[in-house]
Amino acid sequence: MSSSIKREQFNIGHLCTRQQCEAGRGSKVAMRWLSAAMEQTDLTFTDLEQQSNRVANLLVEVGAKAGDIVFTFLPKMPEQFFILLGILKIQAVAGPLFANFGEEGLLDRLGDSQAKILFTRRSFLKKIERIRDRLPALRTIILIDSEADLADDLLSYRCLAERASTEYQVEPTAAETPSLLHYTSGSTGKPKGVLHVHRSALTQRMTAEKILQLGSNDVFWCTADQGWVTGTSYGIIGPWSLGVTQIHFGGGYDATSWFSILESQAVTVWYTAPTALRMLMREDPATLQRTDLSNLKHIFSVGEPLNPEVIQWSRRVLGKEIYDTWFQTETGAIMISNRPGVVVKPGSMGIPVVGVEPAILREDGSAADEMEQGALCLKAGWPSMFVTYLNHDDSYQQKFKDGFYYTGDTAYRDKDGYYWFMGRSDDVINTAGHLVSPFEVESAALEIEEVAESGAIGVPDELLFEKVVLFVALHKTYTASLDLELKIRLYIAHRVSSVATPQQIFFIDSIPKNKSGKIMRRILKARYLGLDAGDTSTLEA
Amino acid sequence: MISLEQLDPIFQQVFDDDALHVTPSTTADDVDGWDSLSHVNLILALETAFKVHFSQKELLSFKNVGDLYHSINAKLEARP
Repeated sequence: MSSSIKREQFNIGHLCTRQQCEAGRGSKVAMRWLSAAMEQTDLTFTDLEQQSNRVANLLVEVGAKAGDIVFTFLPKMPEQFFILLGILKIQAVAGPLFANFGEEGLLDRLGDSQAKILFTRRSFLKKIERIRDRLPALRTIILIDSEADLADDLLSYRCLAERASTEYQVEPTAAETPSLLHYTSGSTGKPKGVLHVHRSALTQRMTAEKILQLGSNDVFWCTADQGWVTGTSYGIIGPWSLGVTQIHFGGGYDATSWFSILESQAVTVWYTAPTALRMLMREDPATLQRTDLSNLKHIFSVGEPLNPEVIQWSRRVLGKEIYDTWFQTETGAIMISNRPGVVVKPGSMGIPVVGVEPAILREDGSAADEMEQGALCLKAGWPSMFVTYLNHDDSYQQKFKDGFYYTGDTAYRDKDGYYWFMGRSDDVINTAGHLVSPFEVESAALEIEEVAESGAIGVPDELLFEKVVLFVALHKTYTASLDLELKIRLYIAHRVSSVATPQQIFFIDSIPKNKSGKIMRRILKARYLGLDAGDTSTLEA
Repeated sequence: MISLEQLDPIFQQVFDDDALHVTPSTTADDVDGWDSLSHVNLILALETAFKVHFSQKELLSFKNVGDLYHSINAKLEARP
């Protein structure tokens, strides 16, 4: 294993590339890229170093400098990794965007961050063009798949990269230098930009080694998209700062392809999501059991609570243990987890990572007793802790009280020190590991001509953990129909993101609100689940 | 019977891409944004447009647009 920080150089781009080459791993495969058609391309740490250096140099050529915010809006592809590492090398802030964001989702993120440069591809350009006039700070768009520059501000990546040097000397980067920006949804307001700094690599590397138990001979596959924190913390930083070979796959979920990859690529450690595992549970066990998984040592999961049935299924069908891990965009790295060598209590989050101090606190801030549910908090100061919500430091400050970060999750701790997730203390919907703001869904629905009122909730779902359910009240001149339902679904998918698409839509006469006009999602949820709505004294008459 | 070209406007609507044209060999990997969630939207759009219904088993068997297209036509031909 490589040593960690040398000469106070915290730069993540450097740690993942140059430092690995200096440690003698230049010719080692850093990334085995598998296209959707399963074409294989191997990229060594030297390749990663040179390609990311090209990006650093081309960014300098287009006028980027330290502190600038540079986004990618790309599907999973090798260039995305070069670009993210190149951005970090020049000490700009890298913001990877999920490829399925709609134009409102893009506007919220690119607009709030005042992003100056965006890497995307031609087929995605139409979404950007629709909002471009509302992004005055966005001065340059670099197109991955354009053979030539299309305009002064629409440049060809290939042309820029061809003339860029493969040599770049990364400036010494202090631990507190801003690095990555991932937006996360809350129950109110627009998504907020979670800003991390280069010091996060310490915890990402440590947890990749100690929790995911990655060693120099491992072949690691993290299925997360780079648009989400898992995709950067453990699809880039953790494993590559350890010099570990990673598999990255350009296709989507497909049981046959996935199991073929696990077998043919001799994956030793696999990090995936409960929704994917639950989808695999629907496959014929005999088909899965025909796959040779003898190289696979460990399976880890992240994103949503892992239900005990999945763990039991894996033990029975795959003959493997699945270790659930817990962290958030804000924490930057795994904070609480199950892991090899520690008894798994199916359904629990596991135990804290070394150096992380969780606490279960009551509403008055006092410590809850064992088995008592309360707010899951973390003692502030872990190395991968975010440093602010960009442009919303007031919201950041509100997340901390008496030295503790309030995660927004509720949980309890058992007598053995294991933590058990109980739910959210807000209305944020966790669907297939993606956090969706009910506010964003409701706002998009209200833009539809026929919709007078809307209320979005998350309800339990066997596959997705939670699914988005939308209640809609129409203007009096309109009536509900299947066509209108489809229109609403597509509108929200295009405006916000495919992950925000309501899985069910109910047309009702009016949305319950309190006397100050706040949507009573609690009542909608009770109505959906057939439960008692509880206190309705504040309900609007 | 429907023609393959009749699928284009539906795909264009679902995937928000006016330039999208599908062929029998088109798969989810060929279309930006065709993930499991937008797939549900696609199926709903096809069911609404052609007044057909796909079973869960059928949905799992579709490997490409050609499979979808043939299934729709088989359902339309089977109508009394």
